[in-house]
Amino acid sequence: MNNYQLGEFEEVVLLTVAILNDDAYGVNIKQEIEMRMKRKVSTGAMQTALRRMEAKGYLASEFGEATAVRGGKRKRYFKITPFGVKALEHYKETRMSLWDAIPGAVFDLKVSGR
Amino acid sequence: MEDRKTKYYPPNWATKWFLWFCHADFAEDILGDLEEEYQFHEPAVSKLMADFWFVRQVAGMMRPSLIKPFLPFLKLNNKLDMIKNYIKIGLRNLTKYKVSTAINLLGLSTGMAAFILIALFVKDELSYDRNHEHADEIFRITIKNFSGDGETLSRHWAFASAGHGPRIKEDFPEVTHATRFFPWAFPDVIYGDKRLPGEQVVFADPDVFDIFTFPFLQGNKESAFSNETSMVISEDAAIRIFGNDWREQDIVGKNVKIEARGAGLSLQITGVMENMPRQQHFHFDYLAPFAIYENFVNNPDAINNVTGNYNYLTYVRLNDAEAATAVEAGGDTFFDKHIADIRGVKAHNYYGLALQPLTNIHLTSNISGEIENNGSLSQVVIFSVIGILLIVVACINYMNLATSRYTRRMKEIGVRKSIGASRGSLISQFLTESVILTLISFPLAVGLATIALPSVNAFMDKQLSINFLQDFGLFLSVFGLLALVAMLAGIYPAIYLSGLDTIRSLKGESTFRTGKVNFRSVLVTFQYVVTIAIIFSLAVLNAQMGFIFNSDPGFDKESVLDVSLSNDIYGKKDAFRNELLANQNIIHATFVSRIPTGNLLDSQGASIFLGDSLTPVNFRLPYIVADENFITTYGIEMAAGNDFERYMDSDSIGYFIVNEAAAKAMGFPSAEDAINRSMNYGGTDGKIIGVMKDFHFESLHSEIGPMIMVKNDNYRRISLKINPVNLSETIAFVEQTWAKFDQKNTINYNFVDESFENQYQGEERLSTMFKAFAVLAVLISCLGMLGMVTFIVERKTKEIGIRKVLGAKSPHIVWLVSQNFIWLISVSALVALPIGYYFMSGWLDTFAYQVTISPVLFVVPILAVVLITLLTILYRTIKAVYINPVKYLRSE
Repeated sequence: MNNYQLGEFEEVVLLTVAILNDDAYGVNIKQEIEMRMKRKVSTGAMQTALRRMEAKGYLASEFGEATAVRGGKRKRYFKITPFGVKALEHYKETRMSLWDAIPGAVFDLKVSGR
Repeated sequence: MEDRKTKYYPPNWATKWFLWFCHADFAEDILGDLEEEYQFHEPAVSKLMADFWFVRQVAGMMRPSLIKPFLPFLKLNNKLDMIKNYIKIGLRNLTKYKVSTAINLLGLSTGMAAFILIALFVKDELSYDRNHEHADEIFRITIKNFSGDGETLSRHWAFASAGHGPRIKEDFPEVTHATRFFPWAFPDVIYGDKRLPGEQVVFADPDVFDIFTFPFLQGNKESAFSNETSMVISEDAAIRIFGNDWREQDIVGKNVKIEARGAGLSLQITGVMENMPRQQHFHFDYLAPFAIYENFVNNPDAINNVTGNYNYLTYVRLNDAEAATAVEAGGDTFFDKHIADIRGVKAHNYYGLALQPLTNIHLTSNISGEIENNGSLSQVVIFSVIGILLIVVACINYMNLATSRYTRRMKEIGVRKSIGASRGSLISQFLTESVILTLISFPLAVGLATIALPSVNAFMDKQLSINFLQDFGLFLSVFGLLALVAMLAGIYPAIYLSGLDTIRSLKGESTFRTGKVNFRSVLVTFQYVVTIAIIFSLAVLNAQMGFIFNSDPGFDKESVLDVSLSNDIYGKKDAFRNELLANQNIIHATFVSRIPTGNLLDSQGASIFLGDSLTPVNFRLPYIVADENFITTYGIEMAAGNDFERYMDSDSIGYFIVNEAAAKAMGFPSAEDAINRSMNYGGTDGKIIGVMKDFHFESLHSEIGPMIMVKNDNYRRISLKINPVNLSETIAFVEQTWAKFDQKNTINYNFVDESFENQYQGEERLSTMFKAFAVLAVLISCLGMLGMVTFIVERKTKEIGIRKVLGAKSPHIVWLVSQNFIWLISVSALVALPIGYYFMSGWLDTFAYQVTISPVLFVVPILAVVLITLLTILYRTIKAVYINPVKYLRSE
């Protein structure tokens, strides 16, 4: 049933790509995550996640135009695919169903225990 | 995010490194990202810190999903498909050209089979005496006897005297352990009502277990000789005495009795050793403390003797293998110390020490009185060379046949090349074919070797076995051999054929040089050299063996029976002889100490009256003891003087008969001059009463030297000249008579002509094995020749056709094909004969009497080779000659 395999970090990256919409390339994604999640991101780990998700079909990518900056090297822009969107939705739904399944008393207990 | 201008550059090497490992699809944008980010860091901190950051990022990129795929793995897949294809094509080619495949299989498998057998034999020969922990420090004490000048070696003994071992241990600090082995009296071993007659109980010093490593099955080496009535036995002996279930009987501590010469002794078994391995130059089943023998003999003089009675196999262990030379050098001092001057000359002029490394004894020692038959290093070398030659010749065959098929495969190669096959893949294709062929011939080779193994074992007196599971080393080496053969045979055709010119090979033109000297001719020449050299060696070997067996040894060896006397019979030997002579079929009987075909006894001090003065004899003058019937029994001719007579036994003075060589060495111009001369031999004064003509007492390996025959009654055996007509009856009679005189011992006899031939057993063995392998080598070479001839004829078919059209006769055409071979054979003969001559004259030099290498022996191998070649050529050309030339000319 569950065809979507997504790690926690991958999910974050995928969401970030979705946030950045048309402007999602390596440096931007990294900075966006660091800004929003308030955590350091290793470029290697992020690139790995991007390539793997592209291979799985959650992401698509294309080169931007070559510019004189970056030593003439093109940027690779990532875009979330419909499949990727579905995966994200699936994860969101399952999380929500989990949240919903928690009996109210659990949190009450915690509160009362304080 | 706006672009910034690139102002700063990360370290170049890190970029290169990144590009080296990163997947090409990702490299550009990731690097761009990194460089962009690098710009943020640079202005803020120092360049060094920014570089450090960059390098760390690059290192962080080395992740499986980002790096390049590992190239060899990718290529392997492709390769596997190609290899499948190579194998398929290879198998097709092998089945297509059935004749040459069969020839190759035959050649390679017989070559490898012979090689495997030879390798097993050589490995076995080389592994002798290496099972002892201290093998490198163990030496055998051997004694040299000189003729009074410290130089002229009169005899070299494998055994030492009883006193040598202990005294050498005492005198030389380098010698840490010493032991003697003395197989004394061959006693009967008795346990309960079981009696094992004539077992070889060996007395040894306690050091024996510290020198040699004899693993114990029961008991241990410390308690082995714990008291003077101990005995250690081998597993075999345990089985003989106690039966197969000896392990259940708790035999350590049990007593067995040994009995000899009427005396008996009870010994306690203190241990059971593993059987001594076959690859050891001595084998004993019973070891008992030397002290038993010492007490029994109770004669300190005999036990401390250092001057003769060489019956004690003596081994020492040194503290350092290098010390052997020092001990040998100390031999002079040793003998001078322990032996008084001999006739005014220091003892070291008569005696010398020689230490033989244990591991060399089997292959390199062949001196007087070796305990068992030793191997021979030259035999090992000869067989190794033959083994390698056989493999090489088989490989050359393959090369020749493979390249000679080229006409048939030219188009295939051309097509492959034009489609885009690289030279490498063509080489792989041809190598695959040779590998397939080798792999097929290997099981055949093992099968052949297994079939031949029992007869080789029986013949060489070995117990070799092919067992790949147990002998991993053998498995590895055979595997290596396979790889080597496949490479050796395949590499030349592969390189040669893959180098063909594409366009010309597609056109069907020969692209080979047609010059006379090329690598193939060299190969064929090599085969011819091997063949000619082997046939030549075989011819010389045969000629020499024939010479030996047909040469007149100077005595009559036919129908002479030699019987060794037991102690019981010795006491009543005259009655025994008379009883034998009563039979009409026993013509003569003589008592002797040694018989012709054996070794002479050692030289004793001698001197002779020349004129008025007593002159010491300064050459080796060994002796035998014989009675008055020796000369008639053995049909030896007298040169001058008379035979012994009966009464001389009891006479107080000595009577001597010398041979012509001795008379000459003493300085007498003729045999007559020696008669009635007074001489002293071995302390007995007497006179020479006769001179006999020279005869070969020892084998033809040694020259007929001076010898002397003395008369006393110290005989060991009786020789009987019998009538060959009723042979079996006569032998039965001799056996009956023996049984009448001695019930305890069984008779031990042999025929002199058999012992005569046994002297050359080593050579016989060598020649038979050599013949077998030589036939193989020649056979394999012939197969190769067939391939070569086929090649030449095929190449020349058009030429033959044109010549025939122009009116050439068949002989011309045969000559056309043959001339190249005749030329090759001449070159080969020029190389092979000197090599063969060099080796064979070296072998002949081991004989004092050699056949002369006549020109015929040189011509025979050449003629044989020429004949074989011509027959092959005829067989192949006849087809080409009788086919209508139009058939192969019209295709152009």
